[in-house]
Formats: sequence, C-alpha cells, structure tokens
Amino acid sequence: MSATTAPPTLDVSGTPQVPMTRLAAVEMRKALDTRAGRWFAGSILGLVLVVCLIVAMAIPDADKDFGLFLQIAGGVLGYFLPILIIMLVTSEASQRNGLVTFTLEPKRSRVVQAKFIAGVLLALGVMVLAAVVAVIGTLFATVLGASPEWSIDGHLVFNGFILANIIGIFVGFAIAMLLMNTPGAIVGYFAYSLILPIAAGLLSALSQTMHDVIPWIEFNTAQTPLFSGDYQPTGEEWAQIAVSGTIWLIIPLTFGIMRLLRIEFK
Amino acid sequence: MGRLFPMITIDRLTKDYGSFRALDEVSFVCQPGRVTGFLGPNGAGKTTTMRVLVGLTPATSGSVTIGGLDYHQIPNPGRHVGVLLDASAQHAGRTGREILGIAAQTMGLPAARVDQMLEMVSLERSEANRRLRNYSLGMKQRLGIAHALLGDPSVLILDEPANGLDPAGIRWMRDLLKGYADRGGTVLLSSHLLNEVELIADELVLIGHGRIVAQGDKQTLLASSKGAATTLVTALDNDALKGALTAAGISVTAAGAGLRVEATPEQTSRVALDARLVLTDLRSGAAGLEDLFLDLTSDSQRDVLDQGASA
Repeated sequence: MSATTAPPTLDVSGTPQVPMTRLAAVEMRKALDTRAGRWFAGSILGLVLVVCLIVAMAIPDADKDFGLFLQIAGGVLGYFLPILIIMLVTSEASQRNGLVTFTLEPKRSRVVQAKFIAGVLLALGVMVLAAVVAVIGTLFATVLGASPEWSIDGHLVFNGFILANIIGIFVGFAIAMLLMNTPGAIVGYFAYSLILPIAAGLLSALSQTMHDVIPWIEFNTAQTPLFSGDYQPTGEEWAQIAVSGTIWLIIPLTFGIMRLLRIEFK
Repeated sequence: MGRLFPMITIDRLTKDYGSFRALDEVSFVCQPGRVTGFLGPNGAGKTTTMRVLVGLTPATSGSVTIGGLDYHQIPNPGRHVGVLLDASAQHAGRTGREILGIAAQTMGLPAARVDQMLEMVSLERSEANRRLRNYSLGMKQRLGIAHALLGDPSVLILDEPANGLDPAGIRWMRDLLKGYADRGGTVLLSSHLLNEVELIADELVLIGHGRIVAQGDKQTLLASSKGAATTLVTALDNDALKGALTAAGISVTAAGAGLRVEATPEQTSRVALDARLVLTDLRSGAAGLEDLFLDLTSDSQRDVLDQGASA
C-alpha cells in the first residue's frame, strides 16, 4: 500500500448544518401532520367559536363588546393551547420518534430551540384565528341586536391575550420536558392550571396571611391581573408574577431542558 | 485485513449502566465496500453499540468515529449516515409517506426523493398512504430501509433490519446491501439470527455479554473454530471403509446412513482410494457458523443448551 492512501473520511463540505428555519418548519409540520395534532388545533378553535356564540346569546346586549369576546377567546386558548405544545414535545418519547429526530439533528439544543420557535409560531397562528373567531362572535352579537363597542384596550390584547397565552405554552413546554410522557404531562398541566388555583383560592379564603402570600407563590393566581380589571398589573403584581413565575416556569423549564438534553431516547 | 482503512472505528468502547457493564472494551472496525454483520444473542450489547455510534447514548469510555468524525460533528448527518435502529420508533399516526417527507425536509431533499425511495423498497402508493400503526413488521422494515437510504448516505447502520422480513424479503435485502457495498458503501448491520447474517455479511463481529468474542471474515472464523476437522462420509460398503479408516488410526463413528470421521475430507478420500472403496457421499462435517456462534457465546446464552453442556 502506498503511503499516500488516506483513511476514508466523510466529505462533509457539501452538506452545511441543517438551518434553524428548516428545523422549526419541520417541527411545525410535525405538530399538525397527525390526526391528533390537526383535530386538537381544530377543536380548540371550534370550542372558542361555540363559547363565543353562547356568550353572544346569553349575556345582556350592553356587555357584548369585542373586548369581551377577545378576553373569552384568550381564556379558552389559555387552557388548551399548552396541550398542543405538550404533544409536540412528548411525542418524541411517547411515540418514540425521538430516535429519528435526534439522529437527524444530534445537537439536541438545536431541536429544543426549533420546538420553541415552532411552538410560539403555532400559538401565534392559533391566537390570530381565535381573534378572528372573536370578531365572528361580536358580529353575531350585532345580528342579535346588540351594538357592540369595537375598540379594545391595547393592554388586553398584549397582557391578557398574547402574554398570558405565551406564558401558558412555556409552562406546557416545561411540564412536557420534565415528564416526557403525553398523558402524564396533560394531567400534570391540568392539575397545575385547574386544581392548583382552586386549592389556592380555598387557602386564601381561610386566612388573610394565606391571601397575601398565595399570589407570590401560585402562578395562576399571580397572572389574574393580566386578564382582568384594567389588564395592567401594578408594580407589586408584576413582582408577584416574576416570583411565582420563577417557581412555576423558570425552574421547571431549566430542569426540563436539562432533562431533554440528557435523556436516553429508547 | 489491512488492505483497506476502516470507515467506522469503535475503539475500546465501554458503557456502564450503574454497576451493570453493558459494553466492555468493545473494539472493531467496518470497512468501505464490505457488509459487516454484528452478531450476538439478545441483550449482548449490539443495540447499545449502535446507539453510541449515532450519538443517542453517551459512552462511559472509549471512542467511536465514522469517517474520522464524532457523529455530533457531522453536519446534516442524514446525508452521510443512514440509520435504522427501530422501524417501529415512529409516530404511529403518521403515514409512511409523511414519515419520509419529514426526514426529506429535514435533510433538505426534494419531495420527489420520497417517491423514489418508496418505489425502491416496493411500498405501493396505497401502502405509503397508510398510517404506520397499520403496517406489518415487514412493511415497517422496508420503510425503515427507505428512511435510512433517503439521504444517499455512504454509511449504513441497521439494527436487526431483516427482522420480520419473509425469505423473499431477506433475499431482497441481501441484494440491496451487497449492491450498496459494491458501490463503495459501508454497512454495519446487527442480527441475532445466524443464517440471516451468514447470507448477507462479508465480515462478522460476534458479541456476547458486552464483549467481542470473535471477529473476521466468514472463512477465517470457520477455519479458526476449535475442534479437529470432521468429515461425513458414506460408502457402498461402510463396514469396509470403517475398517480401513480404523486401520489408518483414524477414529470413526456411525452417523445416520454413513460415518463421521475425525479427519479432513481429503484424508478420508485417500484412505478410501487406497482401499478401492466407492464413496456415495463425502462432505466436510466442520462446525457451521451456528455451532461456532453457540460455542463462542455459550456462556452468555440465556437458555442452557444440551449441546453446550455436553461439549
């Protein structure tokens, strides 16, 4: 053998790293290309529509303003949008396609980034559609004889609709990555979003001390000023959101990412 | 060996799960143009080795490289290394076509490549549009092969690819992989079924209990298998042949319609020739790959074999 014969190597010069835009596009495709994903996204919007129509028929004409319909649409999304994200993340383990995802892009942090980008874009897309549904609800109210107020409070749009929902999907991310199991994460999410605030409310009613402490440690309670009142949390309320958010969002998200980066996908 | 440089190099790879040592200083190489069969009983460490190779499982110590690179260093690895670890590890609610479509999009390949691959693995249009949960194991394997070949890689890593294929399917896979290797590709495939690997692989690596117990090409392995040469022979007059052989100092036992002789076929034939005896059957009774396999991995077999106990 001649000394010039080199060991075979892979010529990787022609294949640049998969760009983040493509990874994110793939993740969005994966969120919507299964029956579960498509039906779930469709059902959320369907539910928003049904709730808006019922409200349009049930409440006094004087209250039927676009702002109210938008608030209702945001509230419904708040409960269900995180589930879409949970399915996007946990299917890698529950459906075991993580084996393929992480061999096609072995740098896991890039896959996590792609899922975050895809999740936020999807959520924004669903929010826009939900806002359209809120318009439909308001128009329906007009048909029923009300003369709705169309102008809306910018704080409602940003704090009550967009920010509250973005926080919700990040909580979904955190729970999904921590549990890496679809049913478990969905149950966990509902325990967090439904049971926890009720428990917090009961405790608040028991003592004044509890009432004062709860907004600092219970994230749902702390977020209430975002989508009620004048939609503008006070300085103290923002501080409560930051403190409880650290407990219920930042810390779980950090541990969740660490887990996803290390977990052995079987 | 030494005529080619390896494409895949696994060097003293060790993997511990707590106190359990799944892989113990595993070293072997895979060369371009060859199909390397990775053979061992269930739980011997084949899958773990392959998982480390593609970066899904971190090694405790040792190194693995593909074309001189750590898997994590390969940009867009699907274009270089085709991987099939588990054909069922896909979202059950996606169609076969969609599964390939996602991979093609990730790798930056045109959608037409998906149809090309579906055709290559003989999945019909209607089958490709079915959801994975409705696939038979054989169909999943074909889809998995299509998935691995999608990026036109120069290295293939396949875990139990023939599992669930019918005999025609195994033959198809053999032709496919031989052709791929003949064009310069490197193939590493695992199996716990001997005859499967015997048909497909050029080189064999045998693993048991996380340790490599033998490696080399088929001929070398068979030649080095322990035990003296044996021959199975049948003559028109077996008694006369037995007498002649015994007189030559060769031990003989009856076996079926003929004799088992502790000598090579050549030695046996010479004795028969000298004694002017007509033979109707003469063949090597050397242990096949199966015996070798059972022998080499006997202390790691889950089932106690009578054969192993009496050997």
